[in-house]
Amino acid sequence: MIKKVKYLCDWILLSGSTLTVCLVLVVILWDIFSKGMSSVSWNFISHFPTDGMTKGGILPAIIGTLLLTLITTIFALPFGVACAVYLNEYARPSFLTNIIRACIRNLAGIPSIIYGLFGLALFVQTLRLGTSVLSAGLTLGLLSLPYIITTTEEALKRVPNSMREATLALGATQFETIKDVVLPKALPGILTGVILTMSRAAGETAPILFTGVAFYINGLTTSANQEFMALPYHLYMLSTQHQSIEQVRPLAYGTATILILLVFSLNIIAFYIRFKHRTQD
Amino acid sequence: MKYYFNCLIVLLMSCSGDNDTIKIKGSDTEVNLAVQLAESFHRINPGIFVSISGGGSGLGIASLLNGTADVANSSRSINEIEIEMFQQKGSPVDSFVFAQDAIAFVVAGDLPIDSISTTDLKNILDGHYTDWTSLTPKNMPINIYGRQSNSGTHDFVRKRLGIDFTPYAKQMNGNAQILEAIKADHSGIGYVGAGYVAHRGSGEIKVLTIYNEKNEKAVSPLDASMIAAGKYYFQRPLFQYYKAGSYDKIRPFIDFEKSEEGKRIIQSAGYYPVNK
Amino acid sequence: MTIKRREHTDWLLKQVFKGAGLITIGLLGGIFFMLIYNSFAFFVDVKPIDFFTGFQWNPENTKGKYGIAPLLVSTGLVTLGSMLIAVPLGIFTAAFLSELAHHRLKAILKPFIEMLAAIPSVAIGFLGIVLVGPGIAKLFGIANGLNALNGAVLLSVMALPTIITISEDAINAVPQTHREASLALGANKWETLFKVTLPAALPGLIAAVMLGLGRALGETMTVLMATGNASVLPTGFLDAVRTITATIAIEMGEVPYQTTHYFALFAIAVVLFLITLFINLLGEYFANRLRKFQA
Repeated sequence: MIKKVKYLCDWILLSGSTLTVCLVLVVILWDIFSKGMSSVSWNFISHFPTDGMTKGGILPAIIGTLLLTLITTIFALPFGVACAVYLNEYARPSFLTNIIRACIRNLAGIPSIIYGLFGLALFVQTLRLGTSVLSAGLTLGLLSLPYIITTTEEALKRVPNSMREATLALGATQFETIKDVVLPKALPGILTGVILTMSRAAGETAPILFTGVAFYINGLTTSANQEFMALPYHLYMLSTQHQSIEQVRPLAYGTATILILLVFSLNIIAFYIRFKHRTQD
Repeated sequence: MKYYFNCLIVLLMSCSGDNDTIKIKGSDTEVNLAVQLAESFHRINPGIFVSISGGGSGLGIASLLNGTADVANSSRSINEIEIEMFQQKGSPVDSFVFAQDAIAFVVAGDLPIDSISTTDLKNILDGHYTDWTSLTPKNMPINIYGRQSNSGTHDFVRKRLGIDFTPYAKQMNGNAQILEAIKADHSGIGYVGAGYVAHRGSGEIKVLTIYNEKNEKAVSPLDASMIAAGKYYFQRPLFQYYKAGSYDKIRPFIDFEKSEEGKRIIQSAGYYPVNK
Repeated sequence: MTIKRREHTDWLLKQVFKGAGLITIGLLGGIFFMLIYNSFAFFVDVKPIDFFTGFQWNPENTKGKYGIAPLLVSTGLVTLGSMLIAVPLGIFTAAFLSELAHHRLKAILKPFIEMLAAIPSVAIGFLGIVLVGPGIAKLFGIANGLNALNGAVLLSVMALPTIITISEDAINAVPQTHREASLALGANKWETLFKVTLPAALPGLIAAVMLGLGRALGETMTVLMATGNASVLPTGFLDAVRTITATIAIEMGEVPYQTTHYFALFAIAVVLFLITLFINLLGEYFANRLRKFQA
């Protein structure tokens, strides 16, 4: 009898934990969406903030985040894929390549604020790019590099060696093998990694704090060396440093809603690609 | 693949010289005012791109020094060390006072104290008094809500009273967080720019009136005539610093601030016009 | 195209890839060197002893005090608190997912966990200000809910997905033979789980905890928004604290370049970097032990 009670306790422990975790997610989403949906409207997405940012919309923040993510991807994608291709296809496995891989894995775990520091020292200061969407995009690009390299390498590894050997046997050069056979086969995996990186970059705040984000801009960012507004920073400012915090609380909730919707849609796209690819094999 | 290169070229081409952006950074006290000014400025002068950030007076001056800002909003005056750093860089700095501000000391609406002397304030903020018993019948610990070291407001209060803040003072991220904290904490005391409390005459927050000597009349930071006469202990000019060489670039915005429209916006934000 | 042309193109592109690869690695290595270089400049001005044992972090102009101890203790307190919450919750959830859940339930729950991982840190920090903080204030009857406890709860939410995913992998990797042997010897489902499977998965579980810890240590925005940012030595969970990451975020913008304060921030960044590096390396070591099972 005691044993039966003990088993029940164990069962409660395990399922209770799972339930708690699920509940946490539900509470987070419920709180943000329920209080944010009332602020979200077409006006909200398409207008500038007005009246000292207590009314109006968050258009510049949305555009800024999209522009920033675009720049990040433009810089991180080629370098990341090229590095992964080099490590996996060209370089001979040696002690050096193992060290390099270990370094990349550890760099993925470095706090994002340290990337911000580096971006400040390198892009803003040394390269004299100033605080701009370019500096911030490059910094986020650095942040994303380890992740893109690791996911691309995993995608490349999944391409069976027999395919490479067959192509080479037919007379293709190594580059042609990579270009026409390996990369297309690994493309879904690479794409998934890129989209997840974009989703992460869209939500990052710490690296852009000192490399180019602004509290308010009075026009849309049109050139790469202007400052920009961004959704995560906007949320941060509206909830901690704005003049009338309580008045703008609904706007903060709305911003959080839009940010989470953006991040989730990117994740869902990545998930869909991964799902479709898996069912193909 | 070909789209990629086109994107890259367009991007790099847009990295042309950035002569039409005015970057304004600095004081959290001044940032909301700057935003309102920029919003109206945009209507008159849509060709000029203005970007504004807060972060504290220290951040503004450092950004000006580092070249990442054109105008530094500062609610404290620049100090000798900073002036020296500008001179070392070969770009001396000029200033423009665009408003006067008063620092309000706030407590919760139900705390039984209405006015306070500067001596008592000194003792509270440097940690000598740890509870309210010396000033009120209530025996509650004093919780101080202040700013961080990069804040001009923080710096001004410190220098005006000639003290060092107790390390137990909570360092909030901005004026607004301080007000939120005071509303929630009925034994707290904090300091904010008067502009933040001017329009919020709610019962939840009480602005203390300040007197210096025993027989002086206590002055409120919301009293425009006393501010104009320079009689409030914690009033100060709000500065905008800029590098002397870049005046032409920022002149449109400064001119706007000096105009009638600009002055109207400044006053409606709860600040006081400059006595000139 | 002639063979020679193709071979030439191939060689050229190999150099391009090599170059891109090396530039990438160089940039990433540059981070490390920049940190070290700038922090050396700091130790020229301030003695390492003062830095590591000084109990005040108060960098005002010339008479600055640069003691890292309150920052380290704050960081440690918040992170430890988050692990106390996240580790049991995470491991038990992982055990549920891999041992008890019907595979359809699993297919629904796994996306849940991924969604939790996708939420940006600002949003979590925001909830700390509007939801959790006031909740803590009400629960403990204190005025302000921005303290270490708030930070710990929020950080545990951020670390949970990592811990759950990796723990689940670890538990799945335990060979079925272990479970079968235990059941054959007369143990039931629970005894097998707690006395055989989980201990067998231990290296992987430790890896999960280490990686979750690394995640919690490196979090900036969440703690910046939710912990009150008083840079004193905290005395308990209900005190306001300021972590290393928050200190860097707050003070980085206000320092003129190349001053002692500027270098000081790099110094604490190096300390943080080394701590996270160490923890990640430990995690990798244990993850390798886990992979031995999978082979």
